[in-house]
Order: sequence, then structure tokens, then C-alpha cells
Amino acid sequence: MPTEVILIAAFGGAGLVYAAGRFSAALRNVLVVAVSVLLIGLVALSYGQARENTYYLGFLGLDLVLRHDALSWFFALCVSVVGAASLVFSLGYIGRSGNVNFYYFCMLLVTAAMLGIVLSGDLLSLFIFWEIMSWSAYLLISHKRGRALQAAMKYIVMSLIGSCAMLLGVLALCNAYGTLTLSKLAEAMGSADGGFLLFVLVTFGIGFGVKAAMVPLHTWLPDAHSEAPSPFSAVLSGVLIKMGIYGFILVMYAVVGLKLVLGLGTGWLNFHSVLCWLAAVTIVIPTFVAMLQTDAKRLLAWSSIGQIGYIVLGLAFGTTLGVAGATFHTLNHAFFKAVLFLSVGVVEYKTGGVRDLNQLGGLARRMPVTFACALIGGLGLIGVPLTGGFVSKWLIYKTLIAEGHPFLALAALIGTWGAILYIYKLLHNVFLGQLPERYAQMERPALSMTLPLVVLGAAVVFMGVLPGIPLRAVGAIVTSLGVGSFAATAGGFGPELGPLNTVNICFAAVALLILVTVVLRLAAKARRVPQTDTYAAGAFVPTGKYHHTVGFYEPLERMVKPYLRDRIDALYTWTAEVGRGLFDRIRRIYTGDVRNYVMYIVGLLALLIFVQLVWKMW
Amino acid sequence: MVSPILLIAVPLGLAFAVLLVGFISRKLVKYVPVLAMAFNLVVSLLLLPRALTEPIIVRTGSWGPPFSIHLVAGPLGLLLASLVALIGLMVAVYGTDYIREGATRMYHVLYILLLTGATGIVLTGDIFNLFVFFEILCISSYALVAYRGDKAGIESAAKYLIQGAIGSSLALIGIGLLYGMFGTLSMADIARNISSVSPLTVFASMAFLVTGFGVEAAIFPLNAWLPDAHSSAPSSISAILSGIAIKAGIYTVARVLFTLYGAESVLLFVAILGLVTLLIGEMSAFSQNNIKRLLAYSSIGQVGLIVFALGMASVTGVTGALFLIVSHCLAKSVLFLSAGYMIHRTGSMEISSLDGMGQRMPLSSLCFTVGAFSLIGLPPFIGFAGKFTVIQAAVEQAGSFFTVLMAIALVGTVIEGAYFFRIVQRLYFKPQSQGSPGETKGRQEAPVSALIPIVVLAVMIVATGVYPKLLSMVLKPAATDLLNKADYIRHVLGG
Repeated sequence: MPTEVILIAAFGGAGLVYAAGRFSAALRNVLVVAVSVLLIGLVALSYGQARENTYYLGFLGLDLVLRHDALSWFFALCVSVVGAASLVFSLGYIGRSGNVNFYYFCMLLVTAAMLGIVLSGDLLSLFIFWEIMSWSAYLLISHKRGRALQAAMKYIVMSLIGSCAMLLGVLALCNAYGTLTLSKLAEAMGSADGGFLLFVLVTFGIGFGVKAAMVPLHTWLPDAHSEAPSPFSAVLSGVLIKMGIYGFILVMYAVVGLKLVLGLGTGWLNFHSVLCWLAAVTIVIPTFVAMLQTDAKRLLAWSSIGQIGYIVLGLAFGTTLGVAGATFHTLNHAFFKAVLFLSVGVVEYKTGGVRDLNQLGGLARRMPVTFACALIGGLGLIGVPLTGGFVSKWLIYKTLIAEGHPFLALAALIGTWGAILYIYKLLHNVFLGQLPERYAQMERPALSMTLPLVVLGAAVVFMGVLPGIPLRAVGAIVTSLGVGSFAATAGGFGPELGPLNTVNICFAAVALLILVTVVLRLAAKARRVPQTDTYAAGAFVPTGKYHHTVGFYEPLERMVKPYLRDRIDALYTWTAEVGRGLFDRIRRIYTGDVRNYVMYIVGLLALLIFVQLVWKMW
Repeated sequence: MVSPILLIAVPLGLAFAVLLVGFISRKLVKYVPVLAMAFNLVVSLLLLPRALTEPIIVRTGSWGPPFSIHLVAGPLGLLLASLVALIGLMVAVYGTDYIREGATRMYHVLYILLLTGATGIVLTGDIFNLFVFFEILCISSYALVAYRGDKAGIESAAKYLIQGAIGSSLALIGIGLLYGMFGTLSMADIARNISSVSPLTVFASMAFLVTGFGVEAAIFPLNAWLPDAHSSAPSSISAILSGIAIKAGIYTVARVLFTLYGAESVLLFVAILGLVTLLIGEMSAFSQNNIKRLLAYSSIGQVGLIVFALGMASVTGVTGALFLIVSHCLAKSVLFLSAGYMIHRTGSMEISSLDGMGQRMPLSSLCFTVGAFSLIGLPPFIGFAGKFTVIQAAVEQAGSFFTVLMAIALVGTVIEGAYFFRIVQRLYFKPQSQGSPGETKGRQEAPVSALIPIVVLAVMIVATGVYPKLLSMVLKPAATDLLNKADYIRHVLGG
């Protein structure tokens, strides 16, 4: 099955859905589900193929190539599954508000563009699809209006800066080697000189770094992800930022090659160690910021930045386990971030748009399925055993410690510790604690909203208990990138990689659970107490005036907040303000007085002759 | 046998025929420009394949060059002539409904004359003939800017007239200096003999010519007339001015520098001048609140980028400049034409009055967005092909100086993206402002005569963006036509 079929189905599906929506909403909804399932099917069917074919000869003198290998398949599956989940979720979420046809069109267009990115075989195709993804994401982020407009502007300007940098890099490569096809570039890059290589890596790094939200290019993410409609936030955090990761893997490993990257630089200051430290900073600082957030979606957005730090750390580290862990964490994070954003989306939809953690609480009683899935997603993000997150984080820790980098390992551990704190904050403040009066009669969410949650949650658990199955795909990727070989059985890894057998852990956990349940059943009777009967050291606790979730981490907040002012965002905003003032002053060159203008004309003439007299240009 | 001289003669005749037709029937007057430009488009497209191999030389008065006024219809000339005809046709169709009040017959006469002037500029091989057509273009545009008759229009037209007249006078002095030195007015002949005279004397004439023609080409600091003129003119004329008049100016400057003088070493200065024009244009556009002024400053920015690309003097560079010329023509026309009816509906040129236009005029807003995205240089529109080729040319230059300049030019792109994305957001995502003058519910789309040109141009932007090979087949020979001075002389003068 040729690779173009996937792309044609994706782009064609977008157009078809828009056209269908003009006639009938029901037809459009059916088509949306059909197209998304079709895409998953097509991607799944193409497993194991490795091919490269030219699909467009002679675009501006270059051939455009599509490529399908282990790496493409992995990311394409990620994109299609999370995309499908979000689209099915949207059926219930978007309903009839706003311009619905346009929303579905843009969602499918973003998905199609992302599939195009991962299936590209040359850098020009990659750039074209990258840009299409960027501007369609911009249109979607603006969908909710109001504050979303400013968030979208910040996103698109930063994205544009990244794209311009990337375009310079692409053309520098084209000029040096005459081709942009990835396979041919990989062969030719062996003889590249260090300065040129650094230029290419830095320009691509800026381009991909903006999209992947590495510090210091991350400032667009919290605003954009929190103001976008929730299903699209899931796609943004789940797969769109992973496109930056895909780009990093592609350029650093597939094109430039591990040896060249590791050898780039002098002594202590070399490219890959700088990247590692940037990644470490990206793990630590956003994790702390996430702990202090009171807006559920902003908390998740900052958490995404932190998790991206893990992935980049694993990638930049350059060992087999590092790359494997990073790749697997990409898949895991996509799934559990999607689950978390979609759960928050359910809450937001049911409460009429409330995201403020200080006002929510106790919703586990009204939407138990959502709570269960959010719990699984959260546990996965923390990295609790039996979820996929544990395996990928284990791989990353293992490689950091084994190669002897205690500070980087410490940064990663701080990240996990922070993740425990903010995930608990999120879950407690939304689902546990007291249920406010106004939500006491809330109805169950619709099936279209809970179904994706259940499916993704099950996937998270599945990948935790039987990690060998996704790890087989990861192993194929690691081998194809030339970073060494990686073998995993269905239940974990063999002794040569440090033993880990998740199936055994699963059995142990289930056995423990059964034991505890039996003991509790046979033990003394339980006594029910009201929720307000908490320990208050004898003081009187007035009901209805004491809410457990307000100011959740206040002591920590007081300690840490002065250090966490968002200086980078302030820097960018200050630059924009200075720019705006400068532009306004430059505009005044055109004074409005025609005598000045005539003076300019004569002035240029005089300047030309003067320059010739003095410097003899010609 | 179709000859390029028809491209000039027929519209010229039809321009004056407008007055005659006007005596017969007022209603038919507005279709004459459509007829003239359709004829031009067909003829230039028919001639184009032949000209790709060798330029068509047309003699007048049965004397050969260098004694006669001759036309040199090469690939570059016919490409620009077809572009003029295409944009002219589209705006003429637009004008059938847009121009309703005032002296409409005069409008149509001047309109055809403007386009005849532009066509003549790109097709002629004689420097004074070029000046004559240049003046026809300029004078028609001075009058058309003032067409509305309101205070802003007359003031802008007066300022434009003063600056344009000074520019034309400087150009005339330059031509006079050349004639005095060489005794001939044929561009090929002058080009052949240019190296026989001392550089400083010749340089003076080049300085005069570049400054004089540069006023129309809107190079900084000569372009101060542009924001006023383009914003006060009726929108159809703004489209023509931004799309065609400026390009005629750029063509003239390029022809003077490359073919007439062969001034390769000056081109670095020209490139830097282009860069300055780009940055100042984009920065000034950013702070605008008036949509037409914003589009005018954006034109200045694009001209800067085109001149920067020309200043690189390589085949890729000039091809990129030509790509940008085509893409800017198409995109800016779409932008001005769709904005024209939006302004007409709301009665105000403020950008804030465009809020919510996505619901009221969906098709116009969509085409506006397509034009804006193309101008920023986003795939899959034609602007991307242009920017790609220009950056390719910059990176190809020896050393990294041009790469640094290109990085600075890309800052201009980011600024352009910022203000266009802001407008697109306003169109689609801001609710219509309460209490605005034209506030009504429901769709109020532009009339069909306006939608046809807008949609056709937008479709062309997408089509050429997805298949740039359609254009690069013509652009590469056109680029060599401009760059290759020896071949030009050989084709015109023979042997």
C-alpha cells in the first residue's frame, strides 16, 4: 500500500468533512469518526514497511519524497490514535457552538499535516507540512476567542521565528549538498565540517525547539494550551509538540548521525551536553511552576513542558537506553497527557467552563469513569509501576545513573517528585474533596466523551503491564538510528539491560490487592463518617465555609514563588514592546510634508554620486 | 501574424474609443477595459512560447535598430505584459460595479492608458520611448489617485504628482546625458558602447536614471508618496498601483542597471537599499490602524525584498525576484480588491471595523486570508516558492554575508506575519463591533462582479503555489534575459 494513500485519505477527509458539514451535521459527525478510524487503520496496516518513494518531481528544482520506516510508523500511530480520540471527544464537546465545520476541518488538517511531517522523506516536504500544521493550529487555538486570540498570536509569531530559522538551515543544507532527501543527506553528511554542522543544528534546534517548547523557547505553550478548546489541547500537548521531538530525532540521528553530534564541540562545552543541561532545566523549572498553578489546564500545560524535558534529555544523552526511553516516553506522554486534558475537558464542559482548581472539587462522585481514567493518566505521568510511564522513566534513569551523571539524574528525580505533587493537586482539587452545592446534580458525561478516555486509559495500563509490545517498535527505531540494539521481551527486559519484569510486578500487585481486599472483608466492620469529620486539633470546623482545595500548596508557594517569576516571558514581551515603540518611531520618517519627501529624493541622488566619488563603486 | 505591437496599439485605440462608446451608450463604457485587457492577455500568452527561445523584435517605420523605435518582446517583457493584462482584466471586471459615481468615462480612459503605459514600458527597447510610456503610466495614475475627489485623495495625488514629476525630470536628465554621450537612444546600442566612456560621467547618468525611475519603483527613501497614494485611491486603483505600477518601475530600474550599464558592482549597494526598504516598510506597516495604509506599507516591504533579491545578481536571485513579483501582484490585488468591498460595507478604513467580516463576507474574507498567507510566505501558496528561491539565492552566494543579510530580511517576514495574522484573527474570531455604521446581521457578500476576480486570483495563488513549475518554466528564461547583457545586444542588433 503506497504511503501516499494515508496522506490522501487525511487531506481528502478534511475537505470531505467540511463539505459534508454544509449539508448535514449528522453526516459530518459520522464522516469525522469514519475518517479518524480509517487513518488509524491505514497506519496500522503499514506496519513493518520500509520504503521511500518520490511523489512530486521538480518542485522548485527539488524532488519531494515520502518515506516510511520504523520511526515514521511509530509517530504516525501516535498522531492518528490521539487525533482520533480527540475527534471523537469533540463530537460531544463542541456540539453546536461556534463554527463547527471549520473546527473539524482544521482538526483534520492539523492531523493530516502531522502525518505528512512524519512521512516526509525530504526536508522540503517536512517544511511544507510543518508550516501547514503551524497555521492550522493557529486557527484552532483562536477558536474560543477572547484571551485565546492573544495566546494564538504569541504562538504563531514564535512559530514563525522558528520556521524562518529552520528554512535557513534547510537551504544551507540544500546549497551544500545539492539534495534535501534524507537518505542522501545522511550519506553525504559524514564529511561535514564542524562549523557548518553547528549552524545547521542550531537553526534546526531553534525551529524544533520552539515547537517542542524547550526552555527558553517555551513561553507560548502555557497560554496556547490552556486557551485552546480541550480536545485540541490534547492534540497540542500530545502530538503537536512531539513533532518538535520528531524533528530533533530526525536531524540529530537520522541525518547528522550520533558520532558527529557527540563529537561536536570542545571539551566541556559541546552541543550535546548543552542540550542535556537545557533539558534538565526544562524538567525542573516548569515542574515547580506547575505545582503553583490554579488553572487546571495551565497546570497540565506546564507539566507538558516538563515531560518534554525528559524526552529531550533522553535523546540528547545519546545512549541506547536513553533514546529508547525517550521514544517510548513520547508515546506514553501522548497518551496520558491526552487522557488528562480530555478529563479536564469533561469537567470544563460539564461545569460550563470552570477550570479554576479553587472552585472545583469532589467530582469523582458524579463522574467516576472520568476520575478513574484521570487517575490512571496521572499515575502514568508520575511513573508508577504498572503504567507505561514507569518503564520509559526507568530506562532514562537507568542510563543517566549508569553513565555517571548524578546531577542530571537528580534533575530527573526532582521532576518526578514535582510530578507527584502537581498530579495529586490536580486530581484532589478536581475530583476529591467536597462537592460544591452547584455541582451536586451534575449528569454523567456522554459516551462520546468517556469512550476515548477509557480507550486511552486502557492503553496506558496495557503498555505498563506488557511493555514489550510497544518496545519492539521502539527497538526497531533505535536500531534504525544506529544507536545500538535494544531487545525486550513481552514482559520487560532481560538481564543484560538490567532486569525488569513488569508482568511479575503486575501479578504481585494483583495478588497484593486480593490479599488486602480479603483482609478488609474479614476484618471488623467499617464505620461511615461524614466527609467534614476531619482532624482539626479540637477546633470547630464550620461546614460550608471550609473548602479543602483552596490554596492547596500554600507553604510551598510562599517559599518558591519569588524565584519563579516568568522572566523569559517578560523578556519576550519587553522585546515586543520595545519593537512596537521602535516601529512607531520609524514610521515617522514619512512625515507627511512633501518638501521632506523631495529632500529625500534629491538626497538619494546626492548620496549615490558621493558614494561613487569616494568609494568608486563602479 | 500576431505581433507584440498589438499589445500596445489595441488598448491605446480602445482607450480613446471609450469616449466614442460613451456617446452611444453609458452602460457599455465599463466593458471596454475588460475587452482591451482580455485581448492583451490572449495575445501575450500566445506570444510567450515563441519568445522563450528568442526575443521578438518589432521595428516601427521600417528602419532597423538602432535607428528606429523598436520593441523587444523577450520572455521577461511578455511575462510582465501578461501579468499586467491579467491583473488589468481582473480589476476591470471588478471596476464594472465598483466605479459608479463620478466621471466614470474618464476613469475608464485613464485606466486603459495606465495599463498601456505599463505594457509599453516592459516591451520597448528604446530608452526615450520607455520614458514616454513611463510618463503615460505616471500621469494616468496621478489623475486616478484623485478620482474620488475628496480631500485626502486630492492631497495624496498632489504630493504624488510633485514627487513623480521630480522623478521624471531626473530621469529625463539622465536620458539626456546618455543621448549626449552616445548619440543614440536604443538601449542595446547604448549598452554596447557603455564601456567606451569614462566611468564617472556615465555614473552620473546612471544615478539620475536610478533615482528618477526609483521614485515609481518605491525604493526607500523615494517611496514616501506610496502610502498616501495607495490608501486614498479607490481600491481598484490601489490594486493596480501596488500590483502593476510599482512593478513597471522596478523593471525599469532593473533594466537600466543590468542591461544598460551592466553595473554588477553597484548591486551590493542596491541589495542593502532593498533590505532597508523592506525593514522600514514592514515596521511602518505594523503600527497602522488603517487597512489600506497597512497594505500600502506592506507593498513597500515586498518591493524591498524584490530589490534585495535583484541585488544578488545571480540567476536564482533574479528568478526569486520574479517569483516574488508574480506572487505580490496576485496577492496584493486580492487583498486590495477584497478590502475594497469590506470598506464599502462598513464605511470605514479602520482595521477595527473589519471585526467579524468572516461571518458577513465569508468568501471575500477567505480570499483575503489566502492572499495574506501567500504574502507571508506560507506553503502551499505561491509566496512560499518566492521566498524559498530568494533564500536559496542568498545562501548560494559565496561567503556568509548574504546569509546574514537574509536573516535580517527574515525579521521583516516575522513582522509581516505578526500584523497579517492579527488581521486574520479580527476577520474570523472577533465579534462584530457594536454600533458600527454598517452593522447588520447576516451575510452581505460582495457582488458577483467583484467575487469573480477575487476568487480567480485566489485560485491562481493556490494553483501556482502547488505547481510552481508552471511559472518557473517562464521565469528562468526571463531571469537570463535580464542578466545576460551580451545576449540582449546580440538579439537586438544582430551578429
